[in-house]
Amino acid sequence: MTIAPADRAAWYPAAPSSAVTEGHATPTVLLGEGVALFRTDGVAAATGADRRALAVTERYDHVWVCPGTPDRALFAIPEAAMPGRRAVPCGSIHVRCSPLRAVENFLDIAHFPFIHTGILGEEPHTEVNRYDVRIDDDLDEVWARNITFHQPQASVSAEGALDVRYEYRVPAPTTAILYKTCPARPAEWDVIAIFVQPVSEETCIAHPWMTMFDDATPHADMVAFQQTIFLQDRSILENQIPARLPLDPGMEVPTQADLTSIAYRRWLKRRGHAHGAQLVAA
Amino acid sequence: MRWTAVMLAADLPPGAAAGTTVDGTDLAVWRSASGAVHAWTDRCPHRGMRLSHGFVRGETLACIYHGWRYGTDGACRHIPAHPSLTPPKTIAATDHACREAGGLIWVGGTGEPPVIEHPHPVRSLEVAAPPEAVARAFGAAEGVRVLDLDGRAATLALQPVASAATRIHALCARPDDRLALSRALDARRARAEGDAA
Repeated sequence: MTIAPADRAAWYPAAPSSAVTEGHATPTVLLGEGVALFRTDGVAAATGADRRALAVTERYDHVWVCPGTPDRALFAIPEAAMPGRRAVPCGSIHVRCSPLRAVENFLDIAHFPFIHTGILGEEPHTEVNRYDVRIDDDLDEVWARNITFHQPQASVSAEGALDVRYEYRVPAPTTAILYKTCPARPAEWDVIAIFVQPVSEETCIAHPWMTMFDDATPHADMVAFQQTIFLQDRSILENQIPARLPLDPGMEVPTQADLTSIAYRRWLKRRGHAHGAQLVAA
Repeated sequence: MRWTAVMLAADLPPGAAAGTTVDGTDLAVWRSASGAVHAWTDRCPHRGMRLSHGFVRGETLACIYHGWRYGTDGACRHIPAHPSLTPPKTIAATDHACREAGGLIWVGGTGEPPVIEHPHPVRSLEVAAPPEAVARAFGAAEGVRVLDLDGRAATLALQPVASAATRIHALCARPDDRLALSRALDARRARAEGDAA
């Protein structure tokens, strides 16, 4: 399989940092190609199938690999360095779906009442109000702002239902970041990211990661909350037809609630990102 | 167009939706609260989710993903993210001919479905073999056949699923024969799958 140049130049998560240890290779797969991850004197490294050294960076509790020549540095999450925050890697979930479908689902709020019933949404609070979406040309990122949604249990620490504010950011083709009302500190955001490892065009590994102001909730409870959400999403992601994300409207019908998804697809197309995408309208 | 039996009517109670496949085409088959059966292409036009995972409310089938509700004619009636919007008529699930007759649910035909004499449902079973191999092993024909299985009268309706998958829907004359017939079907399934391997 040939891989588009733009796909090779992007950064992808290849493993949680904790999975890459001194003294032995950790095998994984990126874009259908075998990759070996190593750690020597604390520093992570990677080689491709032909033993060629690959560009590696380690941030946000994950090892990131670029299979070709990176055309930019790994995106920044400035909140990660803020004092008082706690980084929470939430494990890895294998999903038989396009990595792009996994990201698009993460950007979608209209499904909350039906898939995350009683947690992130519930009937009759189904309406998605108009919000602002734009492709930021300077950053080359997708941003969605001014989203509000009624949530029965917005996070582990939320006490009762809240009207929650959201912002979304897509800084790389298989990474999306959610900024969400922090129940404990209304002036700050909870930051929840999904780092999606593209294994093949129709399989991926989702590595959720968070940085939050929450000293009280046990790590296991925070991970369990996110795992519950992602397992609910998996039942959808493995049953969408076609498996790959159509970048042209083709046979799919978007509405106003899908503006983030529309911008994401347009942005992928503009970047020339092809892996996991259906490029011909079916 | 010939009708294909896709399930025993007893296996689809009011309010249920189920997925099935006929000759490689995935279908969502559902029964409304009033009891009417419908078969649609198994794909929501919004984001491609399988409608067979959806939920029935009254005379509508809703997609599980975003709750878009479709009426019995396939037209989208309600989009929960935009509750005051009247969905355009162009948003519709693809409707296939569907009938309930003789204890079976039939899809894709014209005219009347075949008459089934035997009133008692036995079971449906899937065989990992093409319809020709299944017809040979069961002494049945592709389509519908009344036959004698180890001295017990049964009707078998064959559903071609894919190149190496066939479903059989079995009914019988006497309710007391159901257990023995179920075992007879298992034995012949093993034979059909052996022949196909």
